[in-house]
Amino acid sequence: MIRRRLLTLVSLVALPACLGAWQDSDPRASVRALVDAGKLDDAIETARRGGPDLAGLLGETLVLRGRLTAADSALKDAVARQATGWRSAAVALAELAARRGDLADATRRAAELTSAYERSPSGWSSSDRVAAGRAYLLQARGNAQAVRSALAAFDAAYASDATNHDARLRAGELLLEKYNAPEAKSSFEDVLRTAPNDARALLGLSRVASFSGDGPATPLLRRSLERNPSLVPAHLALARQYLSAEAYDSATTAVRAALAVDSSSMGAWAMLGAIAWLQADQTLFTQARDAARRLNPRPSEFYVELAEAAVSHRRYGDGIVHAREALALDSSSVRALGILGTNELRTGQIEQGRARLERAFAIDPFNLWHKNTLDLLDQLKTFKTIETPRFRIIAPPEESELLATYLVPLLEEAYDTLAARYRYRPHGPIRFELYRQHADFSVRTMGIAGIGALGVSFGNLLAMDAPSARQRGEFNWGSTAWHELAHAFTLGASGHRVPRWLSEGLSVLEERRARAGWGAGATAEFIAAYGSGRLRPVSQLNDGFVRPRYSGEVQLSYYQASLVCEMIEKEFGQKAIVDMLTAYKDGLTTPAVFARVLKLTPAQLDARFDAWVRARFASPLRSITASDSGKALGGEFVTAMRRGAEYMSRKQADSARIALERAQSLFPDYAGPSSPAQYLAGLAADRGDYREALAQVTRVTTRSETAWEANMMEVQLRERLGDTLGTRAPLERLLWISPYDVALHGKLAELATRAGDHRTALRERRAILALGPPDPIDARYQLARALAASGDVAAARREVLAVLEQAPSFEKGQALLLELRAAQQRSTP
Amino acid sequence: MSRCVSRLLALSFALACLLPGAASAQRVHVLAVTGLSGEPAYRLAFEAAVSTLVDSARARWRVADSSLVVLAEDLKGTRLRASGRATREAIGQSFLALSRRVAPGDIVLVFLVGHGSGEGVESRVSLPGPDATAADFAGWVAGFPRQTVVFVNASSGSGDFAQALAGPRRVVVTATRTALERNETRFATPFVRALTTDEADADKDGRVSVLEAFTYAKREVARVYETDKRLLTEHAVISDSTLARSVSFGAPRSTTTDPRAAALVAERSELEAQVATLRGRKDKMSPAAYDAELERLLVQVAQKTQAIRALSGAAKP
Repeated sequence: MIRRRLLTLVSLVALPACLGAWQDSDPRASVRALVDAGKLDDAIETARRGGPDLAGLLGETLVLRGRLTAADSALKDAVARQATGWRSAAVALAELAARRGDLADATRRAAELTSAYERSPSGWSSSDRVAAGRAYLLQARGNAQAVRSALAAFDAAYASDATNHDARLRAGELLLEKYNAPEAKSSFEDVLRTAPNDARALLGLSRVASFSGDGPATPLLRRSLERNPSLVPAHLALARQYLSAEAYDSATTAVRAALAVDSSSMGAWAMLGAIAWLQADQTLFTQARDAARRLNPRPSEFYVELAEAAVSHRRYGDGIVHAREALALDSSSVRALGILGTNELRTGQIEQGRARLERAFAIDPFNLWHKNTLDLLDQLKTFKTIETPRFRIIAPPEESELLATYLVPLLEEAYDTLAARYRYRPHGPIRFELYRQHADFSVRTMGIAGIGALGVSFGNLLAMDAPSARQRGEFNWGSTAWHELAHAFTLGASGHRVPRWLSEGLSVLEERRARAGWGAGATAEFIAAYGSGRLRPVSQLNDGFVRPRYSGEVQLSYYQASLVCEMIEKEFGQKAIVDMLTAYKDGLTTPAVFARVLKLTPAQLDARFDAWVRARFASPLRSITASDSGKALGGEFVTAMRRGAEYMSRKQADSARIALERAQSLFPDYAGPSSPAQYLAGLAADRGDYREALAQVTRVTTRSETAWEANMMEVQLRERLGDTLGTRAPLERLLWISPYDVALHGKLAELATRAGDHRTALRERRAILALGPPDPIDARYQLARALAASGDVAAARREVLAVLEQAPSFEKGQALLLELRAAQQRSTP
Repeated sequence: MSRCVSRLLALSFALACLLPGAASAQRVHVLAVTGLSGEPAYRLAFEAAVSTLVDSARARWRVADSSLVVLAEDLKGTRLRASGRATREAIGQSFLALSRRVAPGDIVLVFLVGHGSGEGVESRVSLPGPDATAADFAGWVAGFPRQTVVFVNASSGSGDFAQALAGPRRVVVTATRTALERNETRFATPFVRALTTDEADADKDGRVSVLEAFTYAKREVARVYETDKRLLTEHAVISDSTLARSVSFGAPRSTTTDPRAAALVAERSELEAQVATLRGRKDKMSPAAYDAELERLLVQVAQKTQAIRALSGAAKP
């Protein structure tokens, strides 16, 4: 540690000496070195001392420092004198015009350069070729060929001079902007091979990491800023990270650092405006907006940033408003069109959204998000819509009937429950989309494949994986639907201002209330994490979602948040939750919400929740410990479980049972995979004690929402014990894990008929038909029978006639037809 | 006028079908072969398919034991009541023996399950000893020129058998489209289930045609792959769907010596024919008129069945 510090000190001392040496030999190299080190004022001074020959370089450095008027003058001087590098100065002038919003001047200047380049590129130096590439980019809006020409010019510049890092970096930046992360990464790595601390290359790699989820981005960003503290794009990238993590103070600090370098940075003022808007700081917002207007009288980019910030904070309606403002200032802004289109799609305005994205894609055909989404919209046209007054369920035609058979009643029940609880009713019908391919759901959600979630709520638009999108037992599609619908209520009730921890916590709590066993439950991992202080206090719980520190923290935070909501309801009443949502809607911050509704400071609430958890999970917390930064679990529970497993592997059933029963007594609620109850059920069944096996397996099925095998075991045990009607409960649970097993539907239908539960019987018979059963004629006949049993003779008759139309020789159908006629004749006076 | 004539023809055909002995003239003969399995799990699956088929042939189709030939991979430890080992020689001898038993118009069902290899006429099923090729089977089935042969090869890589065995009065069913689909096939189980239960009986006439069984099995195979989230690697093929529609398996058609019952059956057949005619006119009728006429006919069909059952003393279905 001491040695490293010494090395750092040596390098700091040595740097000015090195710079001095370069300055003596090559003032141009000296300026560039100072710029790369972030010493912009020294660079400007050095460039000034270099005289007219360095005017272009001086101008470009002044631009970095935000001194635009002086930059303009120096650049014009360089162009007029045709000084060394005057083409770079010429393109810098064009870029300055673009920054001011004078697109005509920018385009004219850029076109002059590219025309000259195309006429005769042979005499152009490497840096001239970079200038040509920059000029092409200024003409790239709606012109894909200009993008390709720009890339070709950067590549040509690098080919003619492999020490021209700027050429390689610009190629990488362009590739990344056009979503080619692998090649962009390769460009940045090329530069780092010869200049391991190049700040722009490090920034580029950081952006690649953010884009592709390929390792952590922040350390690279920090390295970049250590190397060049004046690199404004790096400050802004850091600010964006803080902003998405809802760390507004840190974001502001990062933006202020950028502005301290370059007070003319539109990006910085736009981000400051976004931060101010999110925090409802009108004074700061006005200051940022006015600064933006001074830089460019039509600051579309400012409103685009606002729109992006609104959307990333789930305020989709506001995002649409700001994107429209941006478009009013620049009708061909691809970012504005994209945000507007995407969020119109999220709010159910499908045709409008599609039109915007098509326009955006026509302007920028490289945009992967827009292309994916447009492709998906084409596919969505084949989906079937099932409408009710409250819902529009959109699902693939192959399974829309099946899924709607279950979803419609579930969602209606959930709607009534949630509307009563939150005293809020969503406006208009809620659109519920289901996808058979997880990648399609991901594109609908984010524009690209790769999202890990099962479902998502944008308010009145909910999207989720259909049960067929995943392997059986991976998730419960009923609880997922309930969870997402709960978001529609909590987002709506809070005017989309509810923080993520509270919205997620309430959704998980609602899952648990919907059906026994649904929703997350306590796990050994949760107990270990809580006991070892690896979970956040309530006041910082949002960070557990938006800034997780380790793999699994988000998942654990979901359950923790649900416990917070449960505690608040128990100790302050359900109204407190509604009042909290209202307080957020009123624009209050989280501490202010706690103060207004709970009359507690964040620290007091933290302490109260901690005490509540420690009381509730006293035994598990004593018997489960974590070591090795939470990676390894220990404690008496874990020891007992391990011992039980060991005895089982040695076929020592009695010893295993004793150990597992001990584990169960320490953590009775645990019913996840490999729980004591699961093993004990198996042991009991093996020794023929079916009642005990049933008691144990029921612990699992009523606590775990995805326990397919355990529910199947419960069905078998109940049948064996003669409780045939009792098998309906596990059969119902199985359908919410996977609804595709025709035999299970048939079994449930028969049981329901036997129990006189005609509604369930009919639902099951319809589900069998929707599944495209192996014997569709018999399935329709069974439906007719169920209809007859329910008393709907007319419908039964219609159904049996349809059966006999296809199969007139079907004797069972014939008998039913006569039976129904006789019944109708008896009932006719 | 022509319509009246056709009705009369239909009635006389139906009555003819009911004459004693007319239905029993067509007998079914079954030759089932399980090839080399390689693994216990395959052996269990192959034997389960053949066992179900043979049991059903015996119990449901009333196939005489002398017309049931089962050749198994190994006679030790098998659940099958096998007539012998599934060697190339034994298969050839079995075909020869069957050819001496059959009568004109009989149905010969050949069912193979195992692992396939080779291509074209050299496509083969792996057997103990030398394998039998598609060309061998083509030679053997040539011994049944006046019978209807239903040849089912449920093995992997069986696709080229269809062309090698094509011929008049033959339906060839293969589990795969080509010899190159060589992954393990799932076709045998649903095809046997189709032939041996009522599930595949789409028109509910009490018998399962080869086409019904094939359609059912193909759909169920696709379902299995979809459920398992696997790419479909077998595409079953049938050679003659017209003939396959008319060849069926199931309980022997009911026969009666009671002329009253015979007349009722004939009337019912005529009514069923009218239902078929009505369906053909559906698009030209108003929905209400169609529904009323359909119901009128179907009620009459049902009443005829009720009357037939009353005469025969049979219980309600």
